[in-house]
Amino acid sequence: MQRFLMGQPLMRKFLGRVADVLTEYLGGLSEDLVKDNFVTIYQLLDEMMDNGFPLTTEPSVLKEMILPANLVSRVLSVVTGSSATLSSTLPSATSSSVPWRASGIKHSKNEIYFDLVEEMDATINKDGFLARCEVYGEVLATSRLSGMPDVSVSFTNPSILNDVSFHPCVRSQSWDSNQKLSFVPPDGSFKLMSYRVKSLKNTPIYVRPQFSSDGGVVTVTVMVGIRANVGKPVDNITLQLMLPPSVASSDLTANHGSVLPNHSTRVTTWSIGRIPKDKAPCLNGKLQLESGLERLREYPTFLVGFKVMGVALSGLRSDRVDINRVEYSAIKGFRAVTRAGNYEIRS
Amino acid sequence: MNADSRKGELADLKAQLRQLAGSRQPGVEDIKRELYKKVISYMTIGIDVSSLFSEMVMCSATSDLVLKKMCYLYVGNYARGHPDLALLTINFLQKDCHDDDPMIRGLALRSLCSLRVKNLVEYLIGPLRSGLKDANGYVRTVAAMGVLKLYHIAPSQCTDNEFPAMLRALLLNDPDAQVVANCLCALQEIYTAEVNVSPETAARDREHLLSKPVIYSLLNRIKDFTEWAQCLVLDMVSKYVPSDSDESFDMMNILEDRLQHTNSAVVLAAIKVFLHLTISMADIHQQVYERIKAPLLTLVNSGSAEQTYAVLSHLHLLVLRAPVLFSNDYKHFYCRYSDPTYVKKLKLEMLTAVANETNTYEIVTELSEYAANVDVAIARESIRAVGKIALQQYDVNAIVDRLLQFLEMEKDYVTAETLVLVKDLLRKYPQWSHDCIAVVGSVSSKTVTEPKAKSALVWMLGEYAYDMPDAPYILEGFIENWIEEDSAQVRLELLTAVTKIFFKRPPESIKMLGAALSAGLADAHQDVHDRALLYYRLLQQGVEVAERVVNPAKQAVSVFADTQSSEIKDRIFDEFNSLSVVYQQPSYMFLDKEVRGPIELTEDSGILPLGPTIADDVLPSQLVDATDNDLLLSASDKEESVAAVSNGSHYSGPDLAGFESSSAPPRSTSSPSSTSQVTSTSAAAATSLLDFEDLLGLNTYEVSTPALFSLKLKTKPSLVAQAFQRKWGQLAVALTLDHTLSSPASLPTPQPLIRHMQSNLVEVMASGGKAPTFKFFFYAQAADSPSSSGFFLVELIVNTSTGFSQAKIKADDASLAPAFQELFLAILSSFGSN
Repeated sequence: MQRFLMGQPLMRKFLGRVADVLTEYLGGLSEDLVKDNFVTIYQLLDEMMDNGFPLTTEPSVLKEMILPANLVSRVLSVVTGSSATLSSTLPSATSSSVPWRASGIKHSKNEIYFDLVEEMDATINKDGFLARCEVYGEVLATSRLSGMPDVSVSFTNPSILNDVSFHPCVRSQSWDSNQKLSFVPPDGSFKLMSYRVKSLKNTPIYVRPQFSSDGGVVTVTVMVGIRANVGKPVDNITLQLMLPPSVASSDLTANHGSVLPNHSTRVTTWSIGRIPKDKAPCLNGKLQLESGLERLREYPTFLVGFKVMGVALSGLRSDRVDINRVEYSAIKGFRAVTRAGNYEIRS
Repeated sequence: MNADSRKGELADLKAQLRQLAGSRQPGVEDIKRELYKKVISYMTIGIDVSSLFSEMVMCSATSDLVLKKMCYLYVGNYARGHPDLALLTINFLQKDCHDDDPMIRGLALRSLCSLRVKNLVEYLIGPLRSGLKDANGYVRTVAAMGVLKLYHIAPSQCTDNEFPAMLRALLLNDPDAQVVANCLCALQEIYTAEVNVSPETAARDREHLLSKPVIYSLLNRIKDFTEWAQCLVLDMVSKYVPSDSDESFDMMNILEDRLQHTNSAVVLAAIKVFLHLTISMADIHQQVYERIKAPLLTLVNSGSAEQTYAVLSHLHLLVLRAPVLFSNDYKHFYCRYSDPTYVKKLKLEMLTAVANETNTYEIVTELSEYAANVDVAIARESIRAVGKIALQQYDVNAIVDRLLQFLEMEKDYVTAETLVLVKDLLRKYPQWSHDCIAVVGSVSSKTVTEPKAKSALVWMLGEYAYDMPDAPYILEGFIENWIEEDSAQVRLELLTAVTKIFFKRPPESIKMLGAALSAGLADAHQDVHDRALLYYRLLQQGVEVAERVVNPAKQAVSVFADTQSSEIKDRIFDEFNSLSVVYQQPSYMFLDKEVRGPIELTEDSGILPLGPTIADDVLPSQLVDATDNDLLLSASDKEESVAAVSNGSHYSGPDLAGFESSSAPPRSTSSPSSTSQVTSTSAAAATSLLDFEDLLGLNTYEVSTPALFSLKLKTKPSLVAQAFQRKWGQLAVALTLDHTLSSPASLPTPQPLIRHMQSNLVEVMASGGKAPTFKFFFYAQAADSPSSSGFFLVELIVNTSTGFSQAKIKADDASLAPAFQELFLAILSSFGSN
């Protein structure tokens, strides 16, 4: 009974994590991959759970117990003739006080990189108002540092963050007292923190759709342009037009970029790329409604895609990364990118 | 692969393995490994390779860890089905348990524990004992879980060897957090299972597990645990009751940063702890809501649709408890194009729940956009949501604007939903009739096809005939097409509407009324026929009489019936962070009986469902294929509805009953205008019921317990049937009672005794049996006890010919049982004496 009532989020999350670990080990997750790797999978499952109770799912810990059966180790086993799918020692981390990091890690080149990845979710309603706009962000870190480094990261404007969650390595006292991230990083890639910034007032681009129906034919005009300069060019702009079922056929063309209708999914994709300096991109054309319909009754929704390199649109910026408790100096890097998440425009 | 070639291949494998068994030549491990891999693959895809058992065991002497693992896996898989062969493995597994490599020790011990063969348990005890004392944490982790496995095979051997006590020691002292977590997991499961074996010790042990030192030692090292173990610990902490508020605050301080964990499972488990710690501190509880809002809202829109749904379900529960706190966050519940329908539906419910005066305009604007959604189901739900919001607030103009907008869309289903919405609005706010009717007037009756919408339209035509000049003519059109009208519901509605119009505008409608009544009398549908006949006869009694019955003055509906009782909602809240929330049902409603534990009630097939007075009212169809559970359920439901009628608080006379009865009698079709009929009968039933009770002189009973008893009972104990069953299954019999009734002859049916009990604050849950033996399930609740505790449950068997009766009493609080027994006996003895 106990077990049946164990948290539903736990079960779901655990299964997701198992899938993640398997994907990482097998380089994908498909029926064939599973069939080819029964033994590795059994070994992994053995360490991830016992008697239905989850143990560890930390990839760095697992990798010390079970080596991935990837090409490298296969080659290795052929060359050296040694059994390579398993390390001979128990990972020290299983009993270490820092469970996510083994002691005695060594790298010839010490470096740590941070990626600020933001996704902007926005909804523009029928009247052209911004119904909601939020940014979901993640700080992804890749750490290749020797020893037991203590890293601290500070931001210029942490107050804009609406909700934050951290990798278990982050000390929350430090965040609570001075809004700094202080942690001993796991080795390799990991998600350091994720956050949400709400109530943004602006989106980088505008989309202005117009529809007018007359005798079963709908005339469409869609204008796209830059609304506010974000400091870096907005790239990979795409516009997906979801056609309602009442539309029998469509004929749409654009003065810039390419228009690709997909008849089976009823999605027309307009790839704009970067907005040209000399003209405003515009999509024109007609939609033919099914016979018997005079005018459009369900209005189509547009999904917008874009990418801005080098800027976090929430405005979050890091101003300092310090690495303490080690002798060496390391290379530090910070990058930012913002993509459209669920950016929809209703017409 | 066909059977023959497979057999050949197995024989081949067998031969090769046998050959390798004693071999020590270089490279043999690699060949073995390939063979093992093949065997494991066969095993996994379901080919029976158990015939290789002895060869596999013979080859198991190896130092290669992967080979060992594969061998363990194979043995674990087939040992259960071949216990005789499993004995062969004991030797090498036991040897491996003393290996130098802790990983091999651990794995061997795990395999040993996983054999699950009862005869081999004796070989398990020793290695398990030394495993628990192993210097290496990995081995202890395996051993802790091994104890649980042992318990499942041989409970008594597990407890006799003091393994639980060893786990308890490790729980408090082991330096390795994973060992502690596994101990906790094993102990919890063992104690839960022990309840059936030795309830007292198990209860004491569980209490120990939930004691302050244990909880504190776990909390203090919460960060050492893996995220999954943290969930386990948090789940247990949520059951701990702190001694004072300072303790609660300390615990919350320790756990505050768990709310920032990346793992949503940890966040939800922590939230549960916070909610439970503060449940009795209203203001802090509210602050907790404020604090947990941000992480929950983040989880809603980040991550997979499944996560969104699960988190939204939890939020929904919280929003229903405190809508005001979420009123500024409504934008988080806006639907996204890419959301799957099930998420959108839940979001619509959220938007409805958080709507209040300040945000209604925005929410309704947003909902109106969904009405044009391509997804018809969502479009419909959105309009219903607008309707629900409209029923909560008072801005008539804004709502009417929306309604017009909906109707302008000229989509059948939108129009249909809108009509139903308008009808509900009018039932609650009759004063808006002028505005609403103007809207409805623009609808062409030909575009309305759905029965529900048609019924709504017909009802409005009948109800507001004064405001709609052409109402009779529209209805006339419907009557002319009587034959083509498929829905009985609509035809019923038509009868009522035409009759009502006749009272208001007789000259225009008398002809139509005649046509309708004769069509109704000829109707093949029984209900339609009956209603036509009823109206016909009423009219024969005089128009005024008929009008009093068919079209009495209505009272506006103040609150529409809530579908879920607050007790169920509370129970779901208790099970926060579980599937109960996602299903919106308490766990006992969806868990199997085996999981829930035995329920004695179900073994009695002779139990008939009985409300206190309307035993005959149970429809035969309900009796046919319902299980005992369902019967109990329907009995209690009915009881509630009858209680509502006989209370008389809402029903002061035949014409005031209003629409609330639509929630009550199971036979009612409960369409809006048909309620006038149903109402009158149920109201009449109420009156006659009262008379009946007066005749029996029952109202003269004192509705209080005699003062000389120490125990006071609550005046209106409420316990749903499922809760009763659950309690009955969980509690032990506290006391039994034999008694001989003074006047057994007064029990031709169970009802008099039930009434007697009720007048003494003992409620009936179910009763049944055939004369001369009746069986009853009663319940009562101690006064001053919280809503879900302090219950007494009684099973009473009465033989009416001898007067002999026997009662089994169970109590939430066993210490109160003697007092209750005394009281119950007094009540029982007084039966028939006055």
